[in-house]
Order: sequence, then structure tokens, then C-alpha cells
Amino acid sequence: MSKSIARLTKLISVLFFAVIVLGACSGTGDDDNVSGSNSDDTGETTEDTNSDDGGETTLTWALWDKDATVYYEPLVEAFEADHPNIKIELLDLGSTDYQTVLGTQLSGGDSSIDIVTVKDIPGYASLINRNQLEPLSELASDIDLDQYSGTVEQITVDGEYYALPFRSDFYVMYYNKDLFDAAGVDYPTNNLTFDEYDQIIREVSEKGTEATGSPVYGGHYHVWRSQVQMYGLLDGQNTLVTDDYSFLEPIYETVLAQQNDGVVQDFATLNISSLHYSAAFYQNDVASLLMGTWFIPTLATAIEEGESEDFNWGMVTMPLTEGAEEGTSTGTITTLGISSNSENKDEAWKFIEFVTSEEGSQIIADTGTMPAIQSDEIIDIIATSPGFPDDEQSKEALSVTTTYLELPLDENAAQVETILNATHDSIMTESMPVSDALEDASNQVGALLE
Amino acid sequence: MKNKEELGNRMDKENPNKKPKIKRNSKKVRKIKENLTAYSFIAPNFIGFAIFTLGPILFAVVLSLYQWDGSNPMKFVGFDNYLKMWNDVRVHAAFWNTIIYAVGTVPLTLVTSIGIAILLNQKIKGRNIFRTVSFFPYVASLVAVAAVWNMIFSPVNGPVNEVLRLIGVTNPPKWAADSDWAMFTVILFSVWKQMGYYMVIFLAGLQGISAELYEAAELDGANKWKQFINVTLPQLKPVTFFVLMILTINSFKVYDIIYMITQGGPGTSTLVLVYEIYNTGFMNWDLGYSSAISMLLFAVVLIVTLIQFKGEKNFANE
Repeated sequence: MSKSIARLTKLISVLFFAVIVLGACSGTGDDDNVSGSNSDDTGETTEDTNSDDGGETTLTWALWDKDATVYYEPLVEAFEADHPNIKIELLDLGSTDYQTVLGTQLSGGDSSIDIVTVKDIPGYASLINRNQLEPLSELASDIDLDQYSGTVEQITVDGEYYALPFRSDFYVMYYNKDLFDAAGVDYPTNNLTFDEYDQIIREVSEKGTEATGSPVYGGHYHVWRSQVQMYGLLDGQNTLVTDDYSFLEPIYETVLAQQNDGVVQDFATLNISSLHYSAAFYQNDVASLLMGTWFIPTLATAIEEGESEDFNWGMVTMPLTEGAEEGTSTGTITTLGISSNSENKDEAWKFIEFVTSEEGSQIIADTGTMPAIQSDEIIDIIATSPGFPDDEQSKEALSVTTTYLELPLDENAAQVETILNATHDSIMTESMPVSDALEDASNQVGALLE
Repeated sequence: MKNKEELGNRMDKENPNKKPKIKRNSKKVRKIKENLTAYSFIAPNFIGFAIFTLGPILFAVVLSLYQWDGSNPMKFVGFDNYLKMWNDVRVHAAFWNTIIYAVGTVPLTLVTSIGIAILLNQKIKGRNIFRTVSFFPYVASLVAVAAVWNMIFSPVNGPVNEVLRLIGVTNPPKWAADSDWAMFTVILFSVWKQMGYYMVIFLAGLQGISAELYEAAELDGANKWKQFINVTLPQLKPVTFFVLMILTINSFKVYDIIYMITQGGPGTSTLVLVYEIYNTGFMNWDLGYSSAISMLLFAVVLIVTLIQFKGEKNFANE
């Protein structure tokens, strides 16, 4: 009996050992095969190109939503056509946690990423704080920064900037012409004041509800804090990194009153249901929506393809608060930088130079997306893109001279963002009186700034 | 006996010259060999533990004394991170919310899971179906059920508030969207989600109770309630202690449920420690401070667990 058990144990041990050894062998075998064939391939190509024109470089471009974004492909194709010895590889890090994933990857000293897309200002600030981006001012010395509508100035720190914008979206007011017609209210116009805007959305809500027999919302605030807080930036007197947020109080009071009167949908419900702003607007019961210019191609396509209810729409500039100049809006930029770990910085710069140039901007505009350079020619391309409204106002609304960023650049940008989000939540769910919540935020951010 | 002889013979063959020495030490050698075999079996698990758990934990302890953003050189700051916690309103909120969550979840889950286990231990029709149904929330994907839960408790047109309005509640709570109710909603969700798992553990415990005990109690004239108090509960003590420990530790670690339902909001009303650890660590890249908050969480869990172990003496099966 014990003999057979001993034999069995032996057998199992041998099998166990064999499995491990075989597993290891097959693993390395595979690796060998893969790396073998790889190195063979690249070996050949590098030798070939070496003899021709000095070697081929492959650059990795970190980005998000690779398949859903229409302009990546044409940009890469156009660039590779001009630079036959540089190949661009797209690395999709996902949209939701993009900056976190990117930050983690770069922290490990990973040199596999060459070109970095920067999603937002907190992300940009943390990349700079952690020395993960190359300074660009020297490389970009012959580039005219004025063509970026003052946005590069806003991302310059101590005279140095680490990324250049290739997309620059600003907020406009989309409106549903059919709902305004039904309510018998005149369409909004460019450069409305914030008070006029308040009146118009109240009027269209009231009359529209009467006329259609079902609730019509005059406006819509998506759950982002910027949807309300950005109005405080338009007069150029205030910034969102400060120890005094009292300037936001009148704006919040107006918006809360609209919410309580049913002119706009309830924040709490929107937040819990995670209703996307596009879905809200597509339902044909929201008369106006403040949203970035990135929504233009999305809305046009949704109506074209029947994803949205069919209605006529137009757009006007973002309503202006007192003291704000015409042609001012708030917005957000998407920028490109070079990873400081990259081994191909010169080639990476060539690509960035191309994408952020007038030529790159035209390629982006051809897909209906707003690029960073907004010359008359590019505005024309956007205004004639399929589905764009044909009234003069809508086209004029695209001419913006100054864009204030949703959050200014500051080394504490990420913390400030967290605090402002919590504050916005508390106010909009009426968990706290406006003045108390803003005072709390002032104290918290004040403590960071000390 | 036979085996020993065999072993001895083999050793003799292998080491013909050192025959006497081996014989004297053979017991010791065998002992070492046995130990080595045992260690080699533990090794894969332990190496994994050391690399992926123990190492990072020790690193976090050290890190909590430094300022580090994951990229620039680490800077020693002594106890600054701990002092900073003292004045940080977000950490304060997170600390108290974690305590409230634990105090709310642990007893509620314990009571509901014992209750359901006892009900489903009776011989009733469709018992297996009901058992499956109560276990289902635990197996179901958190992401999916959280979305459904949010719809059911939607403040304006959710079924729960519709019903409340029907029965005459004019201003029903906004649940997860209301800072006064959000934590309650999260606790309710987590009890519902987890009770099935603990129910199964209690069911196993219940089935381990010998029927003789109930018979004896019945002969002594104990009614059902007295049987429950004097037989069932004492017999379940070891199981209850285990569940209590696991539940407590889990409720201090809560993150996913909060992320799916409220994301710490509205404001900071459901912000918990682990959520804030993630925030400071990977959103703000303040890894030292984040580690210091982890140490706070560690201390809290350690203290609570020690208290529970002290209490185990009273809990142990007599």
C-alpha cells in the first residue's frame, strides 16, 4: 500500500516537474520564435533602409478612442507620405482614465511612448510637475504662437511651454429651431448677455410647454462643473484657481433658480442617471445646450443617421456676462508633447510640428472637427461641413478671438479640480447653501496656494 | 518499516564511504529534507506574496515619510504627511464616512444574512429557488446591478419614489443624489449585494448543528424562540465571528460600490478612505501623502480587528 502511494507521489512529482519544464520551454520557445522572426524582419528592413536613406523610425503616439476618432488616420497618412522613413503607431490608452494610465506608464521610465496627447490642464500640470514632457520653446522658435488664439500663453509656465495645441474647442450655444418655432419665441442671437439668455430660456420653456403639451426645457446644464463655473471666467477678471470664489455666487443663484423652476433638468437626476448631454439634446425637448464645438460633427451625424430625433438646429456664441468682450468664450485645448523618455525626440517633434501646423489643422477640419488654428479658411471648411446649419449667425458664432481655458494652469490644478467638482456637486444638489459651499472651496484652495 | 529500509539501502548505495556518519545524522537530514520539501511547496505562493503584497506594503510605510510624485526624486519630509492629514477636511470627511459606512453595513448585513439563512434552512417549498435568488446579487456584476439600482432609486422618475408618492409621501428623498441620504443608499445597496454570500456561510453553519441538540431542547420544553436563543445562536458563534471579521475588514476597504453609485458625492458625503487614497495617489500624484492615508486606514483596521480578537473569547463556542 505505502509502496504504491510512494510510487504515485513520485509519478505526480515527475509529472508536475515535467509540466513546469515543458511550460517554461514552450514559453521561451514561443518567445524565441516571435523575437526571432521580429528581429529578422526589422533587421532586414533596417538594413534595406539604411542603405537607402538613413534608417526607419517608428514613433508611438499615445491617445484615446482610436477607433471613434476620425482624424487620427488621415493625419498619420499625410505625415507618413511626407516622411517615408518615419512610421507612426497609435497607442490607445482608453478615454476614461487616460491621464492616470499615461502617468503610470511614463513613471516607470517607459521609453516606448514618443508623442503624448495631453487631455486636459490638470493632466498637463501633472506631466510638467513630474518632468515627463520635453520643453518645446526652442524647437518651436519659428512658429507663430498667435495663431492659437492665446491658448499657448495660458499653458506657458516660467516662459516655457511643453505642448502645442492641435485641437481647440470653445463653447457655443446650440439651439433647437423647431422648439423655438413651436413656442413662438425669436431665435437667440450672437452675443446675448447672461441675463437675456436667462430670460429667453425661461420664455421658451414656458411657451413651449404650453404649445406642445409636454415639458420643454429651455436650457440644459450637463453635470460638469465647468458648465456653470465657466461663465465666471468670461470677463477676464477672475480665475478658477483662487482663494475667493464669491464671484461665482450670482451665476450659481441664477442657475439654481432655473433648476428649481423646471426650466432645466434637475442636476441630481442627470448625475444619477449618467445621462449624456447628447442624448438629452437628441430627445427634442431641450431648446438650448451650451456645449463645445466638438459636438458639431456628432450632432450633424446623429440627425443624419437617425440616432437623434429629426429637428433643425442652429448655434450662437456663448452668452456673455457683464464686462465680457464680444468674441470671448471658454474652452479646452488638446495638445501634443514629447515624452522626456523618448529616444526619438527629433522625429517626434517633426510629427508634432506637422499636426499643429495650418496643414494639420486643415486635415482635422476636413473631418468636421475644430482644430487649434482657426483661420478664415478653416472656419469655412467647418461651416460647409455636412449638416452644419446654413444661417449666417451659426457661421459667425465660429469666430472667437479669445478662449479662456476651463481651468488655468497651476501646479495644484488636479487638487483644485477635485475641490471644484465637489463644490459644484454640493451646490447643484442643494446640499449646501451657495455662499457656504463657495467659502469652503475658497478655504480649501487657499490652503493649497499657501 | 519496509520504506525505511529501502531508503537506508539507497543511501548506502549512494554514499558507500560515509556509511556510519549518515546513519547517525539520517534523522536530522530527513528532517531538513522534509522541511525543504515543505518550503518548496509554499515557495510559489510566498514569493508571489512577497513581491506583490509584502514588498509594496513595506514600501508604502517608507513612502509615507516622503514626498514623491512617482517621477522626480523622493524627498524626505518626516511626519509632514501625517500632520497634513490632521488639517485636511477631505481626509476628515473620508475617515468619518468610512466609520459610518462600516457601522451601518456590518450589523445590517449580519442580521439580514442570519435571518435569511434561518428562513431558508426551513423545509419550505421552492427553497432552492429562494436560495439562488438571495445569492444572485452577490454573483451579479457590480457594474450592471449598480446601474439598475441607480435607475430604481432615481429621484424624479424611479419606481421607488413613484411608489412613495403614491402612498402619499409628498417629498420623497433623492437617495444617492441627496447628501443626507446618499450614505444610507450606499449602505442599503451593499447590504443587499453582500448578504447572499454571508447567508451561504451561515447556512453551512446551521446545517452543522446537530439535530440532537434541538431534540434535547424540545424535551426540556423549550419553544422555538428559546431554541433559537439557546441552541442556534451559541452554535453559530464561530461562524458569526468569522463573518464579523471579514465583513468589518471588507467594509473598511470599500471602494468599488462607492465608485459605481456616487463617486464619493454629492460633495464629500460618501467619500471614503480608499477613494481618497486613490484620488491623492493617482489623480494628484501625491504618492507619499496617499501612503500616509493608507497607514491611517491600516491603523483603523488593525485596532478594530484587535478589539474583535479580544472579544473572540466571549464569542468562542463553549
